[in-house]
Amino acid sequence: MVVAVTNLTYLLAWAYLDPRSNYVGRRPPLSETQITNLLEPRNLDDATPLLERWWTWFSGILFRWDWGVSPTGQSVNEQVAYRMWISAELMLGATILLTAIGIALGVYSASRQYRLGDRIAQGTSIITMNIPIVVAGLGLVLLAIAFNNAVGSTVFYVTGASSPDVSGFFPTLVDTAQHIALPTAALILVGYAQYHFLQRSLLLDTIKSDYVRMARAKGLTKQQAIRKHALRTSLIPVTTQVAFSIPGIFTGAVLTESIFAWKGMGQYFIETISKNDINGVVAVAAFGAVMTAVGAILADIAVVALDPRVRVS
Amino acid sequence: MTTDSSMPDPTAGPLTAGETPPPGDAGTADRKRLSKWRLYGRRFARNRPAVAGVVIFVLLVAFAVFGSTLAKYDHVELDFLALSDPPSPEHWFGTNNAGNDLYAMVVIGLQRSLLIAVVVATGTTVLSAVIGTAAAYFGGRVERVSLFIIHFLMVAPTFLLLAMMSNDSGGDWRVIALVLILVSWFFQARTIWTLSLSLREREFVHAARYMGVPGLRIVLRHLIPNIGSLLVVNFTLGVVGAVMAETGLSFLGFGVKLPDVSLGSLIGIGASSISSSPWMFFFPAAALTLLTVSMALVADGLRDALDPTSAAGGRA
Repeated sequence: MVVAVTNLTYLLAWAYLDPRSNYVGRRPPLSETQITNLLEPRNLDDATPLLERWWTWFSGILFRWDWGVSPTGQSVNEQVAYRMWISAELMLGATILLTAIGIALGVYSASRQYRLGDRIAQGTSIITMNIPIVVAGLGLVLLAIAFNNAVGSTVFYVTGASSPDVSGFFPTLVDTAQHIALPTAALILVGYAQYHFLQRSLLLDTIKSDYVRMARAKGLTKQQAIRKHALRTSLIPVTTQVAFSIPGIFTGAVLTESIFAWKGMGQYFIETISKNDINGVVAVAAFGAVMTAVGAILADIAVVALDPRVRVS
Repeated sequence: MTTDSSMPDPTAGPLTAGETPPPGDAGTADRKRLSKWRLYGRRFARNRPAVAGVVIFVLLVAFAVFGSTLAKYDHVELDFLALSDPPSPEHWFGTNNAGNDLYAMVVIGLQRSLLIAVVVATGTTVLSAVIGTAAAYFGGRVERVSLFIIHFLMVAPTFLLLAMMSNDSGGDWRVIALVLILVSWFFQARTIWTLSLSLREREFVHAARYMGVPGLRIVLRHLIPNIGSLLVVNFTLGVVGAVMAETGLSFLGFGVKLPDVSLGSLIGIGASSISSSPWMFFFPAAALTLLTVSMALVADGLRDALDPTSAAGGRA
């Protein structure tokens, strides 16, 4: 499936993007042959038959793991290898935090159903869940700028993943934290609510079930019964959801990364499309497809780990 | 509850009282239908956030439709005496660095975003309902082909296709809407397919089939009305999703392009000068957030009101 999707994207990308247009309208103008001479060694010349281009590209990946070059000659492999970790840095932290917050809130509001705490939490969540990430991100930028002005020094950086002139372990750590705080906060703000609602409704279902009532009858407190008996069952669907959200977070990060100017995969995606970088676009698509597959596998592993009823032979 | 006696059993609401009354039984069916809608109305009105959502949404629509009659400037008109001006009596929402009146631009942008959202939500709902139920009812080859397409689209990098195609269209909102429909129908179609699998085994479907009703007619008149409440909720959620997708695209510069504006592209323009002229961000962002949040509240209220098993709307 991943291979098929990648190949299809390659063909579609050729239908919609035109690397030649990058060089048209340059000053001084380049002649047709000059452009062809530039594009041909990069396998981006649309004068070569599509099948031949495709085979050069596909065999390059197949035999040398070479994903080709951009119209300006940069290696796609290097770009992806570098940007992948920047995205991972942002995404991993945000995913873990927003899942934890969502589940904790879900447990809290399920055990206090229809009380004030539950009502407030639910009201807040339905609003934050539907704030567009663009608005959330830029709003946080404004707040951070106001905060920086009030304090008088730059506590939060609103652009980039790191400052260029920082060395040593602890300064790097502090610098990263200063940069990562805002995009992570934006991702958490719009993302936690879905797990809050999911966990709440699932936990409410399990709290009402016979075995939890049985546990209460045995003499466990409500807290113990929820933690030891109800929570574990209700976590299974949530984990599946989290695993399947991995590619979703990846596309959501397109906006976050472009707001905060992180040079990650999401920003690469925008760059490749606007620069007609076909090989780059296909690499992004392949990355997304692999992430989907990884998510599916992780979901299965998580279910096996959490659910004793599922046996692996 | 004194009103209970005059009402039909709420749990018998949407499923047994079909959308199409049998001929010759029009009188009772009419009365039943009226009370069904009254029941939904009551359950919905009891949910205060949902009512607030409706009010906000209606106000936003009114703003989008009639706002331009109040505007002193056209959205493409340039006022060279007021470049990057903060909000003032002359320019209610301020101006951008070219002298465009932001109030007029927000009205047009809201219109554009709403139009795209409603078109996309309608298209998505219709397409997913027809394909999902048809796949379940006909089975066999139809089912296999539709499921193959659905599963393929689930793996395909749809956001990437979306960005490429709408970027290629040069910012024509109709193309953007069409592409958005193409990449968002399949998740709902799959849910509907799962639900319809059990519907197709129900007695009334068998009865219709043995009476010789053609297949497509069964799908349209017996299966789809039975998932009506799901479709209504899907539609409202679809509006939220479409608004978010469209504004995201336009924010990145792949969606609606100048001189046409949408809320997303306005926010994108505002983002570049956020610390020097924050009003360029505030007004479109406020309109956008109100739009998505109000629609989500409506969807939430509708789900509770239309779900016969839900207790959240209170009794009856």
